[in-house]
Amino acid sequence: MKELTLEMAEKMLEAAERWASDIARIPCSTAVVDKAGALIAVHRMDGAAIATTEIAIEKAWSAVAFKIPTLMMSRWLDPRTVGEPLGDHAFGMVGRGKGRLCFIPGGIPITGDDGEIIGGIGNSGVPSGVGDISDTSVSQAGISALYD
Amino acid sequence: MVMTLNIAKKILSIGKEEARKLGVPCSIAIVDDKGWLVALHRMDGALSPTADIARDKAWTAAVFKMPSSDVTRFGNPTSPGFGFNTQNWNDRLTTIAGGLPAEAGGKVIGGVGVCGGTTEQDVSLCQAVVEVISQLTSNKSGSRLT
Repeated sequence: MKELTLEMAEKMLEAAERWASDIARIPCSTAVVDKAGALIAVHRMDGAAIATTEIAIEKAWSAVAFKIPTLMMSRWLDPRTVGEPLGDHAFGMVGRGKGRLCFIPGGIPITGDDGEIIGGIGNSGVPSGVGDISDTSVSQAGISALYD
Repeated sequence: MVMTLNIAKKILSIGKEEARKLGVPCSIAIVDDKGWLVALHRMDGALSPTADIARDKAWTAAVFKMPSSDVTRFGNPTSPGFGFNTQNWNDRLTTIAGGLPAEAGGKVIGGVGVCGGTTEQDVSLCQAVVEVISQLTSNKSGSRLT
């Protein structure tokens, strides 16, 4: 994988939706962006809240912008992590990136063959946070589809 | 009849097929009757801003229930709507051609926006997609797609 194509993006969205509807049983939105953070494809499942589309895109963008999952970025803002490594130290980051930066777990960068980031996937609508049923797990289901 | 992800996916694949025939990589956006995005695909080779422009066209067509290019008539200096372009329409208002309302059973169920080629190409692609929606939803056999 050197570059994300629309075909790959559709495959990921398909898998993410299947996971969301069959296992999480929650309608949600999923977005895939390329290595520049530009949108390739986004789907909002029937019944998913309208705000989820934008948040999914923002999560995918943020994951690419920082080249790490937004789950890790959320730790930067967590007041319980003051003084810890990678803990609360970036509160001024809120609202940066023309308001597009999103610190909610659910966005994951996609790594290509040579270790470069080739894109990102973001999901919104399932409870975020950490757990078996979370935005991150839906995004992971999408990424797994790339290796089928 | 409402816009569902299944209808959106179906018409996106038809739209992309048409675009490949024309040799125009483009972005196609499908929104629901309130203008909220249901699905958007940017084809390989389409410029990145086309995604946002396609979305804006679809929004404009859906909420005004008219082709996005028709919205210009409100801005005519002799019309009472002069200056409406200075309003903040959620940053989504566009008067560029290439957005059409999607109708089914005489009702607007959403909007379609295409961006990537010339205005004529965008409009003809958009028309092809919108026609498919009304066909899909008019015949009984198509209703299983909903």
